[in-house]
Amino acid sequence: MIRNHSPRRLHGLALLVACAWLVSPRVGASSAGEAIYRAGILPSGAPLQAEREAGLQTEGATAACMNCHRRSGLGMKEGHRYIPPIAGIYLFHPRAGTVDDLDLPFVEGMKADRDPYTDATLARAIREGIGADGKPLSVLMPRFKLDDAQMAQLIAYLKSLSPGTVPGVTDSVLHFATVMTPDADPLERKGVIDVLAKFFDDKNHYTRAQSPRLRSSRRMMFKVNRHWELHVWQLTGAPQTWEAQLRAKLAAEPVFAVISGVGGKTWAPVHHFCEAESLPCLFPDVDLPVDAEADFDNLYFSKGVLLEAQLMAHDLETKRAALKLRRVVQIYRKGDVGQDAALAMRAASGGEGVQFVDRGLATGAGKLELAQALRAMHTGDAVVLWLRPDDLAALGAVPAGVSLVYMSGRMGGLERAPLPSAWRNSTVMAYPFNLPDRRRVQVDYPLGWFRIRQIPVVAEQAQADAYLACIILSDTVNHMVDTFVRDYLVERMEEMLEHRILTGYYPRLALAPGQRFASKGGYLVHFTEATGQRVAAMGEWIVP
Amino acid sequence: MRQRPGKSVWWGWLGGVLLVNAAGAGADMTGGTMSPLHNPLPAEVSASSVQYAVPDVTLVRQDAAHVSLLKEMDDGRPVVLNFIFTTCGSICPLMSQVFGQFQRQLGPERAKVHLMSISTDPEEDTPLRLREYAAKFAAGPGWEHYTGTLAASQAAQRAFDVYRGDKMSHTPVTLMRAAPGKPWLRIDGFVTADELLQQYRQLTAAR
Repeated sequence: MIRNHSPRRLHGLALLVACAWLVSPRVGASSAGEAIYRAGILPSGAPLQAEREAGLQTEGATAACMNCHRRSGLGMKEGHRYIPPIAGIYLFHPRAGTVDDLDLPFVEGMKADRDPYTDATLARAIREGIGADGKPLSVLMPRFKLDDAQMAQLIAYLKSLSPGTVPGVTDSVLHFATVMTPDADPLERKGVIDVLAKFFDDKNHYTRAQSPRLRSSRRMMFKVNRHWELHVWQLTGAPQTWEAQLRAKLAAEPVFAVISGVGGKTWAPVHHFCEAESLPCLFPDVDLPVDAEADFDNLYFSKGVLLEAQLMAHDLETKRAALKLRRVVQIYRKGDVGQDAALAMRAASGGEGVQFVDRGLATGAGKLELAQALRAMHTGDAVVLWLRPDDLAALGAVPAGVSLVYMSGRMGGLERAPLPSAWRNSTVMAYPFNLPDRRRVQVDYPLGWFRIRQIPVVAEQAQADAYLACIILSDTVNHMVDTFVRDYLVERMEEMLEHRILTGYYPRLALAPGQRFASKGGYLVHFTEATGQRVAAMGEWIVP
Repeated sequence: MRQRPGKSVWWGWLGGVLLVNAAGAGADMTGGTMSPLHNPLPAEVSASSVQYAVPDVTLVRQDAAHVSLLKEMDDGRPVVLNFIFTTCGSICPLMSQVFGQFQRQLGPERAKVHLMSISTDPEEDTPLRLREYAAKFAAGPGWEHYTGTLAASQAAQRAFDVYRGDKMSHTPVTLMRAAPGKPWLRIDGFVTADELLQQYRQLTAAR
């Protein structure tokens, strides 16, 4: 009876399951149940209370269901333990012989041979830690103190978590977008779009080969052959208009996630849009990401210039006494990311005994203004150059008295920075990537891929990052089987990233709940020659 | 789910085995070899007596001091050790809660026991994050948290056979040693603070 089903009958079953959830109370995005589940906050504002084995009390955010069952409600694996999915359909499905017999999206830790929960037995599980089968649940599961109204709100929320229709996912197509801000470097933008377009082409070339369109493992259905479609969302105008533009684009072209992208002076509107729409925004190439690790949907390779500021502040602290540093003069273009980086540098430095001076250059300022910003230096001054290649190339002589110079590698162009010879002896470059010698094999891989596909390398690091973002997305989607849930995509990335062997420009990538920057550190390097691109590390990898 | 025999039977028996092990420690235990305690427990908690060769790596304590792992362990006090990371959602909070309760149950004796928690995610777990984490679990004097380089953390994890390739693959392990040179009691699985206290009493009595 089960083996000989027709696809039509399967869809009928799926529809029945789906309908069961449509009649359950609708739960808004910021429902009371959600506050209990995600934040451990009761409708009264009081913290959720729970008790673990042996009387251990836990409450509030620490007791929130989300910590273990994850935002998606699809559970996770930790060590040998599966934290089971608790999205409604996984709790209330009828008993089945094996997981294969379940007509549900596959997740690890789903259980087949268990009587379905009812609202009453689920409430007992949550309050008393007794499963549907009458047996005690895992020692990890606390016993929650919820009254009947709160319990009903939480259960309604669990039902609402069940995977259903997901924007950007159809039977035959997975839609993704990439975001380009108007102030993104045009070369970099072109280079990244080349990589993304080719990656999607390749992906579709292989998946369109003659393979069955559907595979079924008994009742569980897998779609093995989805076309990937890329939408390039090119923003225009002022940053304050970007969120509205993005909302319009998302409405017109629903996508499952945003992949890669290139930013310029600010990325914040894109970040906030993705967070507001619960739209995963994965690994854009930006100098200045939004540093908000409590946010969920935005993942970055690194903190960019904010990390550089921390690296410099860390180094400054170790040298301050020996060099008798009294003043730090930071030079940047007003409105560029260096302005924010300078603030971060000031905040990251203890500040005791060191005076910080900002010298912001107006947008249109030329060589003369740059020279003026470097005047009136004294012994005991350190200079920080938050400058782009054009400004670096225009630097004159090193001002007398300056004992230490820092420069942003990200902004200046890393080892390709046109730093004049006179500055090379005294300049320490923040380098938030793996060293050229150590990343060679890692980066040769994407470079070889570009060469075979005749993609011009115009912005190596940005293009290598775009390629890496695509590979991570592709691997993660494979591991999701057919369970397309946006939160689950982010959660799977968090879990899988640490296993990557090819990590491009970064020595290591790792995430976790509450970690939004995959590479945590950087080097300080200096040029070894008066000209050319040879740099040497001034110490080990630093995690500031 | 945990099924256990009567605790008094188990602990009494375990204590006896530990005494035997302690007496015979020099003869048959070498670095890294494990001597199972024929644990009668069918369920998730098991205990064994093991000799570990602890590497002399430098770690960074929550107060940002660079310290030698060996010296921290050999400060004369009994050591109770676990491995955690601060963004861990399920296993670590429970283990840290148990450490906190264990420490409170020690009462005035707590300063005489060295609780050590080593981060398995040292790049994320800066000393500041460790201090915040320790405060969340009301860590009192005598309970230190450690971070350091990735290599140092992994060396420590490998030495105690808790390294599983990545931080998410970890399993709950608590290690306890009465004094330098003595074997470690390794407890795999979740123990309660009461059980930990009994273990500690047995182990230090056997000293």
